[in-house]
Amino acid sequence: MTAPVLAARGITKTYRLGRQDIPVLRGVDLDVGEGEMVALLGASGAGKSTLLHVLGLLDPPTAGDVLFDGRPVHGLPIAERAQLRHAHTGFVFQFYHLIPELTALQNVMLAGMMTTSWLSWWKDRRAAKARAIAMLEHVGLADRMRHRPAELSGGERQRVAIARALLVGPKVILADEPTGNLDSKTAASVIELMFSLQAERRIAFLLVTHDESLASRCHRVVRMRDGVVVHG
Amino acid sequence: MRAFPPFLALRYLLTRRINLLSVFGVSFAAWAMIVVNSVFTGFVTDIRDDVRRSTPDLLLTDLPHATSYDSLRAALEADPAVAATAPRLRHHGLWQPLQVPSRMQRSLESSQVDFNHMEGGFVLLLGIDPLREPAVTGIRDWIAGGMEPIGKHLGRLGPQGSVFDEADPKRRAEMLVPDELEWRGRGRARIPRASQEEHVSSLPGVLLGWRRAYVWPWLQQGDPGDLLAAAFVDDANGKPQLRTHRVRTAFAGWFATGHRMFDETQAILPIETLRTMLGQDHADPEAIALVTDVAMRLRTGLAPGEIAAAKTRLRTAAQALLAAGSAPCSVLDWEEQNPVFLSAVSHEQTLMRIVLFVVMIVAAFVIYATLHMMVVQKWKDVGILAAIGGTPRGIGTTFLLCGLVVAVVGAILGTTMGGLSVHYLNDFNDWLFRTANVELFPRNLFDLQQVPVRLDPAWLALVACTSVGLALVTAVVPARKAARMNPVKALSYE
Ligand SMILES: Nc1ncnc2c1ncn2[C@@H]1O[C@H](COP(=O)(O)OP(=O)(O)OP(=O)(O)O)[C@@H](O)[C@H]1O
Ligand SMILES: [Mg+2]
Repeated sequence: MTAPVLAARGITKTYRLGRQDIPVLRGVDLDVGEGEMVALLGASGAGKSTLLHVLGLLDPPTAGDVLFDGRPVHGLPIAERAQLRHAHTGFVFQFYHLIPELTALQNVMLAGMMTTSWLSWWKDRRAAKARAIAMLEHVGLADRMRHRPAELSGGERQRVAIARALLVGPKVILADEPTGNLDSKTAASVIELMFSLQAERRIAFLLVTHDESLASRCHRVVRMRDGVVVHG
Repeated sequence: MRAFPPFLALRYLLTRRINLLSVFGVSFAAWAMIVVNSVFTGFVTDIRDDVRRSTPDLLLTDLPHATSYDSLRAALEADPAVAATAPRLRHHGLWQPLQVPSRMQRSLESSQVDFNHMEGGFVLLLGIDPLREPAVTGIRDWIAGGMEPIGKHLGRLGPQGSVFDEADPKRRAEMLVPDELEWRGRGRARIPRASQEEHVSSLPGVLLGWRRAYVWPWLQQGDPGDLLAAAFVDDANGKPQLRTHRVRTAFAGWFATGHRMFDETQAILPIETLRTMLGQDHADPEAIALVTDVAMRLRTGLAPGEIAAAKTRLRTAAQALLAAGSAPCSVLDWEEQNPVFLSAVSHEQTLMRIVLFVVMIVAAFVIYATLHMMVVQKWKDVGILAAIGGTPRGIGTTFLLCGLVVAVVGAILGTTMGGLSVHYLNDFNDWLFRTANVELFPRNLFDLQQVPVRLDPAWLALVACTSVGLALVTAVVPARKAARMNPVKALSYE
């Protein structure tokens, strides 16, 4: 059996507010297999977003380890970690988090610039642009490439965010309530897009959601309560 | 460097007009530094040239009372660095023309005071040996130089000839004006004269700095004037008594060195005339060739070190010839002869440069403020960049690049504008005067044909580097702030 693409081992995360310790994650163990669609459910404040940030290396855990393909990553030097996360995981957020100054195309292209040096990017710029265009076409935004985020609908913005997360070919996408801000029809189309990506490209998803019906369509449902996984 | 910082920095800058303000601030500061400094350097260079022109290469001074030129001359001229020497005798006095054109051409005795033109009367007397002086200073050029400003300011021609062109060395030694001119001058002042055919000039000539032409604009060569001086002379009991002396002289022409103070205060006269007034009449066998200073011209092409060595040598040689126990004499180069004036000028330049640097620092603050504002506006982007794989270093670089681009564009614009402004300053000044009758640089105030400007390439480079350097240093603070931001906090920033 191959190692899970993404694993959490005994993750705890404690915030300090003044003198008070606030334990948000209290020993989370979690595996996401290759191409697996995992739904993460839990009440508000259960620690879902925090877990995602830790898994995506945006936030260091207080204790425990994150493993990419079975390899612990939190001990690695910062540049290597950034490189690894970039190649391995993509983020999709509830509020899209696109850069407002950039067009849809530039927002997607930006993801390709994060770890390559400017010289090699410049040499390869045509191919890089073609890849970004192909990715936007793939998410159905062929005619919105030159639009700024402010000129796009919520669903379109989320598609741009997904295209951005996909550009470098990650193995797993961490999606924090990606449809939480969309109406049900738009949400359904974004969900369909994710399922098709999962099927075509065997990309694993860790999908935070409050939607039980969506969760039931996933391969597996993980529930969290008060910082622990209660039922896998 | 990663690919995203330049890409993003450029877009951040292009979507924010406020950055134009920073660019403008930097270019304005650079521009001001270049233009002001170039004009100032131009003025300073001009002033130094003028002072230089009025000053001999070396001056032996601080000599004891009653020093004779004859006792020093041979020793000084024996020095290999010295090309020529000339005696100098300084004193102070009053000079007043006899003829004053108020109402009906009046003539005055020197015992009467012309209150309308009193301010011009006080003069610093500089006694020179007209036969030796041209070998040491450009006195011939000073006289030639006097013609032009007189013509310009009084609207008529200045003196036609120079007493130094007189062929007869005896007459030249007394700086006598041509017979005809003195004869006419005596006529204007209504003092006794022989018939025109028989008249021979006898009044020693006095050259005045051309700035006195404002006081006595009517003065013509040959006009008689009385020179008064007071000096202590020992009486029969050996007690010093203050005695006044009066000599009738003739105005011999204007001189202009360009050194304002010199041209305002000095009157040049034959050294023998002044010696006689001070009790050293050369007809008297007891009399000495009295001097207060000896002016020297150096051989050309001496290195600064050789000049310094010559100064020490000459001082020692002169001191050995003075009476034992005399106070130490000095040998001064041209800068040391005008210490207060020149150091004031260089101090002012330093001060001005400091003020200009303050302008630059203000520009750097503008960069800081706009960049800081940008980082705050872009908090969320910091989180986004971290989420899609940006390192803190790359994120910091993005904002640092914003500052760098602003600084470089500002510096290029500013130095280019500065260089062009300096280059076309006089054209612009002329044009403004012609079209709007406005003079940015009132040339008459400084008696200049052109605004003197001097663009120093080293200063240009210094300004360019400082503006970029300073801007970069100020940009580091907000950039570091961005780099150290916790990405999760940044993402949830509203
Ligand atoms: N920086 C912080 N400092 C202190 N406490 C924090 C911090 N960030 C999160 N928390 C706390 O951690 C807990 C979990 O937050 P988290 O955002 O992970 O919840 P969540 O499960 O994503 O909830 P929701 O479904 O509402 O998004 C919350 O109680 C929150 O107050
Ligand atoms: Mg959440």
